[in-house]
Amino acid sequence: MKNKIKVHRAIHDMTQADLAKKIGVSRQTINAMEKNKYVPSTVLALKIAQLFKTPLEELFFLEGNE
Amino acid sequence: MRTNYLLPYKFKMPGWVLFVAGLIAGVFIITNNYESDFLTIDVLSIINDSGINSKSYFQIITTDVFDEIVSIVIIVGGLFIGFSKERIEDEFIYKLRKDSLVWALIFNYIILLLAIIFVYDMSFFDVLVYNMFTPILFFVGRFTFLKYRLRSHEE
Repeated sequence: MKNKIKVHRAIHDMTQADLAKKIGVSRQTINAMEKNKYVPSTVLALKIAQLFKTPLEELFFLEGNE
Repeated sequence: MRTNYLLPYKFKMPGWVLFVAGLIAGVFIITNNYESDFLTIDVLSIINDSGINSKSYFQIITTDVFDEIVSIVIIVGGLFIGFSKERIEDEFIYKLRKDSLVWALIFNYIILLLAIIFVYDMSFFDVLVYNMFTPILFFVGRFTFLKYRLRSHEE
């Protein structure tokens, strides 16, 4: 799964630390998600989408063979 | 991530102190061939060997308890480190902890299998002694390594 967290973070002018604090995770978690090393739970994905006021599908995408 | 078995974060530091001190004392005991008499006291023994082929139950025996205390310190210290919350406990760190546990269990049993096949007689006794502590040691080692690697790979 891929995501556009980094893009939306830039749009909202937030650092990884800002985003981490707002959704209650560590900065390492945001970093791991942006590097596609960690697939977040549905709860965490919804929290991020809610914060960016964007549909889930705009943020997260399945890759070809998934 | 809601977990009901994790200790508060404040257990982390005491855990490291106990674990490291215990391991150093453990190495000291092994290099002394398990012979020590610092703390000889009376203890309740639920089961012990009274002769070659006989066992006695629920007796008060006198023995040195230094190695018992060191064993307890290592295990409790290791559990404190591995099962206390991180400063920011979230679902990702929870996954790292679980992955480390699985890795440690598999790695430990691969080593044990090799030891069963290739180590014999009294040397195997040493394997049994080490194997009391290697699962928690591998778990703590792997978990700490993964956390450190994440921290050093940031933007």
